[in-house]
Amino acid sequence: MSNAGGNGLAASGLAGSAAPVTRRVRAYFAAVNRGAGQPTMFDPAGMAAFDVNVPPGPWVDLGWCAGFTRKSGTKIEALVAGAPGIAVSQVRTEVEAVVSLEFESWGKLQMALTAGAQQMNVLQVQPGAAANGSGGAAIAAVGLTAGSAATTATALDIGVAAAGGSAVGDVVAVDVDYAGQLGYVGSGVSGGYVKNGAAIRNDADYVRRVTLNVARVTAITGGVLTLGSALVAGVPAAGMKMSTVAGFCDREGGSYFQEWSAVFVVDGVQGDRVVFHYPRLQTMHGAAEKTEGLVGVQAKGLESGLGRMRLMGSFRALPVRDANDGEMVVCFRSYLPGAMRAI
Amino acid sequence: MGNVQVIKDTFYASLRDRVAAGNVARTAAIRGVLRPGVVVVENELPGAALDGIAPVEAFSLRWTGMRGVGQGLVALLCEIRYATDGSVGAVGMDRGRALAAMDAELLAAASAEPRAADALVFASAGAGGTPSGLGRIFWGDLAFGAAVIRAERMERVAEIEVFGYV
Repeated sequence: MSNAGGNGLAASGLAGSAAPVTRRVRAYFAAVNRGAGQPTMFDPAGMAAFDVNVPPGPWVDLGWCAGFTRKSGTKIEALVAGAPGIAVSQVRTEVEAVVSLEFESWGKLQMALTAGAQQMNVLQVQPGAAANGSGGAAIAAVGLTAGSAATTATALDIGVAAAGGSAVGDVVAVDVDYAGQLGYVGSGVSGGYVKNGAAIRNDADYVRRVTLNVARVTAITGGVLTLGSALVAGVPAAGMKMSTVAGFCDREGGSYFQEWSAVFVVDGVQGDRVVFHYPRLQTMHGAAEKTEGLVGVQAKGLESGLGRMRLMGSFRALPVRDANDGEMVVCFRSYLPGAMRAI
Repeated sequence: MGNVQVIKDTFYASLRDRVAAGNVARTAAIRGVLRPGVVVVENELPGAALDGIAPVEAFSLRWTGMRGVGQGLVALLCEIRYATDGSVGAVGMDRGRALAAMDAELLAAASAEPRAADALVFASAGAGGTPSGLGRIFWGDLAFGAAVIRAERMERVAEIEVFGYV
């Protein structure tokens, strides 16, 4: 079975098995239904052979990662019996896994996952609004044209008059008004948790402040805004409104834990693939960055003065039950061998 | 023919095809024959003018080093030399731009994913490759040397490590 060693052809005609040689790791995101406690599961049989640039729905590409590190914190202890004591068996006393990585690109999702708590959309403020660290009182949100077929996951029909207040390049947040709902809020992906309306001053814009349902406007035609990427919540539901976003803000502190389903793909050069699936990940620390100096090959001894900031994330894996045998697990590692290589 | 030659031939064919896909006009007249502008020096006549000297407007490959890295894996060092005189129409004053264009073509060809290719056996010059059963060869990042000016000519040497199983 093995022909391990990786050298040349075995008598079977199979190339020898070898350690995967890889360059980097690609990350993918899917939502956890927080209210139902339901993660998005990745099936290595039905999904794993996808093109890294075209992940299967509902998985969303988070781009390349650096410094991808997995650490098992699972504790296995011996059961000792007799005198003198002899280990006669073993038992798992604790199951834990931690993932650390650095996102190579900054975006709403990457920032939200590594923020440590709520990740706020900084909504455009009203003139003269009192200054506030995560954004002051917002300009009134724009409603979507009721019943318009032009509104899709990548287009918003707000009407010609309202479109005059938008511009190509705007970033917009699309979600419902806050109207007293309690619990997880945010369409598509939960972005926050409301314990009581008074805590958020019953701010009608609060859901749009924390929603991950954001996109950039790439064109405006006849009152319809074309978006550069699909909204994570899909086609906007009735009653959703749009607010223009100046930027994103996260805070050290806060009470919310973002949770997500994760897939990490490591492609080996021999056509093999390793897939790490964590159905439930929660951040372990607050927002942090790592700055890497930009030093070119020919700049030996020279400092360019430039640095590249990467988003750092460390996540603790939470358990799910495997439907095949009922075991509680926190991570799935799948290996897809390259074609015609010995196993 | 040994498996090391499989690695060398496969990398050459892969780079040749990628350069041609990026710029079909990148050709070189070698011994009176117009070919894609990627040549392997050791496959040409010994002592030919291009040995050690880059023919203009083409990429010349020389295999300069080899190291075993365990598990049957070997690393080969490939030197890629290229040069330009610029265009006649611009009286050579575009030689910097011409070298930059070659830099970009080489970078695109060597960096496009996948940076790997099925290891093929090439029985003879001009023949297509057949599967070797040795899996895939793969390569690392390009390291570009400094641009060198020799009279009106500009040239550069880049290096890349190519890996494969033997």
